[in-house]
Amino acid sequence: MATVEYRNIAKTYGAFEVMHDLNLSIADGEFAVLLGASGCGKTTLLRMTAGLETVTAGDLLIDDRRVNDVPPRDRDIAMVFQNYALYPTMTVAENISFSLEIRSVPKAERRRRAEEAAALVGLTEHLNRYPRELSGGQRQRVAMARAMVRDAKVFLFDEPLSNLDAKLRAQMRFEIRQLHDRLGTTTIYVTHDQIEAMTMADKIVLMRGGEIEQVGTPDELYDRPVSRFAADFIGSPAMNFVEGTIEANGNAPAFVAEGMHLALSTSISALPGRRVVCGLRPADLVLDTDGSVEGHLVLAEKTGPDLQLHMTVGGQDFIATAPRDANVQSGDRVRLTVAPEKLHLFDPDNGQRL
Amino acid sequence: MSRTAAAAAEPSAYVSRRPEWLRLLLRPFSGDAAFPWLAPLIVMLLLFTIYPLIYNIWLSFHEYAPFRRQLEFVGLDNWRTLWQDTRFWGSLGVTFTYFFFVLTVQLVLGMAIALLLDSDEPGFGLLRALLTLTLVIPPAITGMMFLLMQDSEFGVITYILESVGLLDGTQPILSTGSTALIGVMLADIWQWTPFMVLIFLAGLRSLPPEPFEAAMLDGASPFQIFRRITLPLMSKVIAVAVLIRGIDVFRMFDYVFVMTSGGPGTSTYVLSLYAWQQTFSFVKWGYGATISLVSLAIILIVANLFIKLAKVRW
Repeated sequence: MATVEYRNIAKTYGAFEVMHDLNLSIADGEFAVLLGASGCGKTTLLRMTAGLETVTAGDLLIDDRRVNDVPPRDRDIAMVFQNYALYPTMTVAENISFSLEIRSVPKAERRRRAEEAAALVGLTEHLNRYPRELSGGQRQRVAMARAMVRDAKVFLFDEPLSNLDAKLRAQMRFEIRQLHDRLGTTTIYVTHDQIEAMTMADKIVLMRGGEIEQVGTPDELYDRPVSRFAADFIGSPAMNFVEGTIEANGNAPAFVAEGMHLALSTSISALPGRRVVCGLRPADLVLDTDGSVEGHLVLAEKTGPDLQLHMTVGGQDFIATAPRDANVQSGDRVRLTVAPEKLHLFDPDNGQRL
Repeated sequence: MSRTAAAAAEPSAYVSRRPEWLRLLLRPFSGDAAFPWLAPLIVMLLLFTIYPLIYNIWLSFHEYAPFRRQLEFVGLDNWRTLWQDTRFWGSLGVTFTYFFFVLTVQLVLGMAIALLLDSDEPGFGLLRALLTLTLVIPPAITGMMFLLMQDSEFGVITYILESVGLLDGTQPILSTGSTALIGVMLADIWQWTPFMVLIFLAGLRSLPPEPFEAAMLDGASPFQIFRRITLPLMSKVIAVAVLIRGIDVFRMFDYVFVMTSGGPGTSTYVLSLYAWQQTFSFVKWGYGATISLVSLAIILIVANLFIKLAKVRW
């Protein structure tokens, strides 16, 4: 187990800079998720941690030891790859115990530990099979067992679930998190899927264009996104954004835009008359005949547990969720309300939270 | 309007436009019968492979009688002669020595060079392209080149070996029984190692990078990665290269023909040269055919054994 620390990390490919002055520290035993769209540098950061990519500038510390120039095999890191990267010519047992073989662990001991790890991920039946004889989910488990058998300082996961179907993905999500809780190994997990990040992480590191946009717990990212980008990335369906102005009626400031007039909590520091972007999460909107958001319902989509209301408000697309028994129909004019503390205000120019 | 009319008329017009003789010719191919499609290949096989093979077998039971100018049936005489022919057994020994030595060196050297050239750094593409150069030289020319380079008077190889003290100048490489075969091997190794390199490189460069990265993280050293990951992943490629090259090496003819003519004595007399000599120099067509049949049988047995053992799947 170990801490991982990135100090002023930069990465360039030729003249192309993909990462610049990145700082981040991951605590011992923490489950950190690097979240971001493709090309944001999250996988590059992970591969630098593993030693598969060089660090152009800055310091990478594992357990307070600078490892920039330490080869991968001496970093004591275990990694689960997106396409599993199993050894095709070895059986499941050999795959799992390869690292032990390298360390000259006696054969009986190797077998015992491989069996233990296989049992943890439910692979006991398949120890003598070859990777090509396994399903995607089983291969993923072999990759996990191979990482676990090591007692490595840090576990790295590179989008490990993206090749699995939706149901298996949900199950593996749960299993990986459970495994982490049991082993307590520091884990860095890369994904572009915000659901994975929200459900598994102790700490989410949201990345954008090679820089860190926001670091925090899943709740912090959901409740207090630091920017419009962060607000947009977290949450499904995505947050609605409406541009409007702040109006002050004495002590009661309000956000006003076409089709809506929303009371703001008094703690809002934005000046009256200022143009802002207001973010509203679909789940925070409530059907209310006295509501101050008025829209035209285009389609009420049944998702099972609830309804997704696709609307236009002031000529703009807008999504809200409603209970499944809500009495609304396509073509209706509907009114919604939202609690003042659930509003997110952003600067329209730089997207920063106000 | 006119367009739809044309479209409707199209199919019938298409059929009727085809001449009658062509329709008759193509009719066998219109159904789902396999034979018409296989027929051209079967004819070629019969003409160029099966017939010569059967003729060769037939020939091995006959012998040419020069004075009567005809082939005469001699029964098993050729086979009995072969069994007692010490020159045949000698040449078989030379062939196997050549086969194992050349193949081993080309395999090891080919793999080593392929590993060195397996890089994305600039310039390596050019190096890989240069490898094909030796392959376009006719083997007989290569033989001449090496004959000259090993000349005892002015050969550069002779000069180098004498400079480092490996030769004392009294024994020309190609005219000394103990070194002549090695001299011939040099030409083969120089010309055909790049072929191995090319096949191995194609294999190496198509391997997925992830298992290698996983092995690095698992703590494996470069040698351990080569032994436990690279070699097993490359086994099929290596087997195919060894098979192709092995068959070639076993029936090698050009180099000995040009460089030593089998000498000195019989020290470089390989099987194919012996078969050639019996057939065309001594006009023993039946005996030559017998030797080449044995050569064919050995290649078939060894190659199929190898395919079984190496688990090559076609």
